[in-house]
Amino acid sequence: MTMKTQRLTQSQKLMVFVLTMSLYGLATLFTELIPSFQVGIVEFSVEYFLFIPLVLAMLFDPMSAALGAATGELVFSEIMLGQFGGLGELEKFITVTIGVYIAGRLVRNPRNRKMAGVAAISGVAIQQILGMIVDIMKVQFAVEDFEAVPGLPQSVFATEGFACLNDVLFSGILFCMLPTLFLVPKLYGKIEPLLGMEPRTEKTALEPIGLKVIVCSLIAFAAAAASELLATSGFSLIDWEAGWAESGTAMAAGMAVAALIAIIAILVIKKNAESRTEKA
Amino acid sequence: MEKVMKKLTDSVVDKISMDFLRNQVLKNAYGNDDTVIARLDPRILLAWYVFFALAPWFVDNLVFLLGCFLLVAVTTIMARVAGLVLFLFLLGVFSQTGYLFVVSLLFGGNAETILPLLILTLKVATVSLASITVFSGLDPDRLSNGLMWYGCPERLSFSISYAYRMLPMLMEEFQNVLLSYRLRGNAPNTETLTGKIRYLVYQIKMIIHSFYPLMLNTAKRSRTTVEALEIKGYRYGAVNKEVKKMKLSALKVTYNDLLFLAVSFLWVSLTVMAMTIL
Repeated sequence: MTMKTQRLTQSQKLMVFVLTMSLYGLATLFTELIPSFQVGIVEFSVEYFLFIPLVLAMLFDPMSAALGAATGELVFSEIMLGQFGGLGELEKFITVTIGVYIAGRLVRNPRNRKMAGVAAISGVAIQQILGMIVDIMKVQFAVEDFEAVPGLPQSVFATEGFACLNDVLFSGILFCMLPTLFLVPKLYGKIEPLLGMEPRTEKTALEPIGLKVIVCSLIAFAAAAASELLATSGFSLIDWEAGWAESGTAMAAGMAVAALIAIIAILVIKKNAESRTEKA
Repeated sequence: MEKVMKKLTDSVVDKISMDFLRNQVLKNAYGNDDTVIARLDPRILLAWYVFFALAPWFVDNLVFLLGCFLLVAVTTIMARVAGLVLFLFLLGVFSQTGYLFVVSLLFGGNAETILPLLILTLKVATVSLASITVFSGLDPDRLSNGLMWYGCPERLSFSISYAYRMLPMLMEEFQNVLLSYRLRGNAPNTETLTGKIRYLVYQIKMIIHSFYPLMLNTAKRSRTTVEALEIKGYRYGAVNKEVKKMKLSALKVTYNDLLFLAVSFLWVSLTVMAMTIL
């Protein structure tokens, strides 16, 4: 056998994608539907099912699993429930992808439980910390004179920081690391044949994480943050607003009249078209 | 009093059963394809959505935001969105900003803090209602066709259609696995406090355990799915321009779509007018 890395055909990658998408999508749907509940100051919410894509990324192709998880969350819990937030969702998509992908790459031998645990917790930590950074920036840009509002900056830092810490330490360990440690050895060697591939071993694993992965992740994160800020910031439009402020009323009135004329025109055309089809 | 409370919790628990969730999701997806919104062209609706998803972030004027909010609220009613989705929306919006407000009080915030937070809430609410209108109002096939027309990767459209098709089955399977674990297991006594904690741990453990068979089953199923797709030449068809054209030829812009756009435009320009006068 000359097989160097765990080679997958394109259709096997699609299988991994579909598998992760449906499982993680189902799990996020539950967590989305069941409102998060609090025990004391510790909050239970969505992140805890991240063990599913983490396990699959450790056993199969990390990239397909990561993309599948992000798509699953997007489609099942955001689009299906109508909670799609537009551009802002890109941020979550990218942070989930980065977290799961890196965790999957870290594990070279799924039998090594210590490594699997470390990878699981670091995957969660990466995703949470990136998410926290973006969240803080978002509020900073959405609220005008962020610094001037009494008590707001500190409260944002405190709530976001605490939520992140809570997610990583409490739920990261309890709901991500432990299930991963339970599931990875149990599934190893059993689930791979179902997709028609060989289990990952030290020899067939992908190269350890290099500079390239880190640089790519950083670029992707920058894109995520940029998209989020673009969705929130009012920078480029400040000039535009000032420009038509003087003759704004006249212009708006013009727009309204134009819209009215358009509505009437469309109604007339529609009526004509309908009567024509009736005659014909 | 205790009896009343017990009855209340029982009825709430009944409401949030697995079947209820499944019904709500399905109703949201397929239940309302006879509404005005569902009949509109997906491309027009998506363009409309882009405006209402972006514009509120750029404007801080209360009048304009209120106007936009009213419009998307009306379209949401027109789309007849499932109750659960609306409930989740309200919960999400108010818990987020309410929580932030309470915490800012701790850091010396006051009544002044409310106004910026109110604007933030209004922005978030407008954007999410617009997305609820578009993504819940349209049925999945039309939605994925519309996204494909705008050049979204084929894989996303495939995922949407697949998700809507598979979700009910997956939910049922998950429920079956969970129930069979429950049948075989011996739940701890829930009378004392430690018993209750142990019961919670037991529940969580069971959910995690039931993902083991579920993962294996889904692996088999996704292999079948992909093989079936391959037989039909999916990966070649997905990138082929001819196929795409054929698939999208069913989309057609009608007068109703233009009317919808024009009315929205009229309303927005009226709010802009009100904004500049006030």
